[in-house]
Amino acid sequence: MMGIRLNLFAIIGSIILLLVILELIRRRYLQERYSLVWIITGTLFLLLSIRVDILYRISNFLGFSIPSNALFFFGVLFLILIVLGLSVITSRLSVKNKILAQEVVLLKKRVADLEKSLGSPE
Amino acid sequence: MESMKILVIIPVFNEEETLRGVILGIRSSLSQADILVVNDGSTDSTGKIAREEGVLVLEHPYNMGIGATMQTGFLYALRNGYDIAIQVDGDGQHHPEFLPSLIKPLRTGQSNLVIGSRYLLDGGFKSTLPRKLGIKFFSFLVWIFTGKRVTDPTSGFRAMDRKGLELFCEEYPSDYPEVEALISAYNKGLHFQEIPVTMMNRQGGASSIGILSALYYMVKVTLSISIGSVRRVK
Repeated sequence: MMGIRLNLFAIIGSIILLLVILELIRRRYLQERYSLVWIITGTLFLLLSIRVDILYRISNFLGFSIPSNALFFFGVLFLILIVLGLSVITSRLSVKNKILAQEVVLLKKRVADLEKSLGSPE
Repeated sequence: MESMKILVIIPVFNEEETLRGVILGIRSSLSQADILVVNDGSTDSTGKIAREEGVLVLEHPYNMGIGATMQTGFLYALRNGYDIAIQVDGDGQHHPEFLPSLIKPLRTGQSNLVIGSRYLLDGGFKSTLPRKLGIKFFSFLVWIFTGKRVTDPTSGFRAMDRKGLELFCEEYPSDYPEVEALISAYNKGLHFQEIPVTMMNRQGGASSIGILSALYYMVKVTLSISIGSVRRVK
């Protein structure tokens, strides 16, 4: 069983994580649409630190030999999903970025041509 | 027929040694064509040379890759009412004297896309052995997915009509686009063919393809084509 000190440490850690997430959203460093998954994660951490028996029960039910294995397993799984999601977002952004750059290039050419035909200086 | 608007697109990245010669060659072989240099963020005097020569110039704000560079040219061609667009590399390996025969099948409506192949004629530069093997591999791949024999599927010496332009403005891979472009042309029902050309060894600059990127090229294109074949069509 987990000691009371470790338990307290986990609770405080979860609360700090949640506060950091909320502060990032408040400062608009994190868009709401990407923040949801983090709020859920933080809340889950907090819940598991307060009610450690939930982790024990899940771990028992799935047949992990020790609960920390279950924690690591789900932690890594979660991180893989997050990174995959980020790759999707990056791909989408790079396509949009390419289209944007191409439009700017073509617009600059049109503006230059128009300026030339109007005879305006530079 | 003679009033067709033709645009020769030269994608360039640091090609100061060869660009002027390429432009002069195109002017003497296909004088009725407009020439567009798309500068993909060169760090040398390539852009300056293009402007000095008085050709059309588009400047990418940063290096975006050969596919994006060609697509910028295609977009310019489509929006400015060109009937035919031709790709000629800026490193001098494509001979401009083949330009009239490259666009002939487009003028007659026989094809939508014409590729200049260095393997239909004897002579000229045929590339190195590992590269030839890579090209054989891509030929095989194209044959599997289209049933058509293409001897030089990675050749960047190609010309297309408006149908080809419309397709490639819509979708064109950012890197190593040549082989995939053939497959997507085939899937859209466009007709493509090869004509014999001779090519030179590059006159300046370094090849854009090393061993690792050659491997990436093959894996990426194979993956993209295989997945593309089961992708839902828009």
